[in-house]
Amino acid sequence: MNNLEKYTKVFTETFEIPEEEVQSLKYQDIKAWDSVGHMGLVAKLEEAFDIMMETDDIIDLSSFEKGKEILAKYDVEIK
Amino acid sequence: MNRKNVFITGAAGGIGKALIKIFASNNYNIIAHCRKPDKEKEKYFDEIKKEFDIEIYPVYFDMTNYIAMKTALLNLFKEKKNIDVLVNNAGIAHGGLFAMTPVSKIKEVFEINLFSQMELTRLVLKIMTRKKSGSIVNISSIAGLDLAAGNSAYGVSKAALAAWTKTLAAEFTGSGIRINAVAPGLTDTRMAVLMEEKAKQEMISASAMNRLAKPEEIAQAVFFLTSDAASFINGQILRVDGGAK
Repeated sequence: MNNLEKYTKVFTETFEIPEEEVQSLKYQDIKAWDSVGHMGLVAKLEEAFDIMMETDDIIDLSSFEKGKEILAKYDVEIK
Repeated sequence: MNRKNVFITGAAGGIGKALIKIFASNNYNIIAHCRKPDKEKEKYFDEIKKEFDIEIYPVYFDMTNYIAMKTALLNLFKEKKNIDVLVNNAGIAHGGLFAMTPVSKIKEVFEINLFSQMELTRLVLKIMTRKKSGSIVNISSIAGLDLAAGNSAYGVSKAALAAWTKTLAAEFTGSGIRINAVAPGLTDTRMAVLMEEKAKQEMISASAMNRLAKPEEIAQAVFFLTSDAASFINGQILRVDGGAK
């Protein structure tokens, strides 16, 4: 599984949504991505990519696309 | 054997040592935080390891050095070391009337007694959140509940720690993580030795049992809160002070 597949899987599993809904997903677009869901997402991303995110990055993680930029800071290239 | 792990801050102090002993005697491995290494601490850790046949993993950093703290936690994180229990025990004391306590001193006390606990807890919660289980006990103080004169720094910082315990417990409802605090009365540790005699006697005589707490009595209360016996206790501040007169 490549990083993009892993990254997408974290979103689909955390929020229990199909893959086609993930691409344009933004924070609070769906009920499951509230503040509690956000912390669950962060925990799963950290586990999947073996990283520990800074608080500022956790706050900035506002969409599926933005998350890719943030993970690049931790040397995780989502392609 | 698959043992649970407890992370204890301020592990070299009087209550810290009692915490190590009670968790070790209950088959926990210990992640023992101290500010810096020294032979006496290491000897104590070796004795406990031998007596209870458990592992003690010392971690050294100043609680206000957040880079060193993060590095230590990152190492645990990378080693996939689980943390089942966190006891935020490190702290400093300070007494003095407000008029004689500079705000810089209050900030210093808050930095150690509250903000550093928050930083560490944020990191530990990343590990606990993965497992969807864990227990955190903050060591507050009756000084933070009773807030007598002379407590603008220490007492108010411990009051804030107690308040934060409640709000954190509320935020983690349903996560499998419980967060509580113990508020000890004056305890027979180095902190009590350093206290002004008059203030010390006042605190002792305010206790219905008319004595200092033993560090073991505080450790037992902490252990209880982290155990399954306290599985429905969350967001509470438990006084361990011999009762009020």
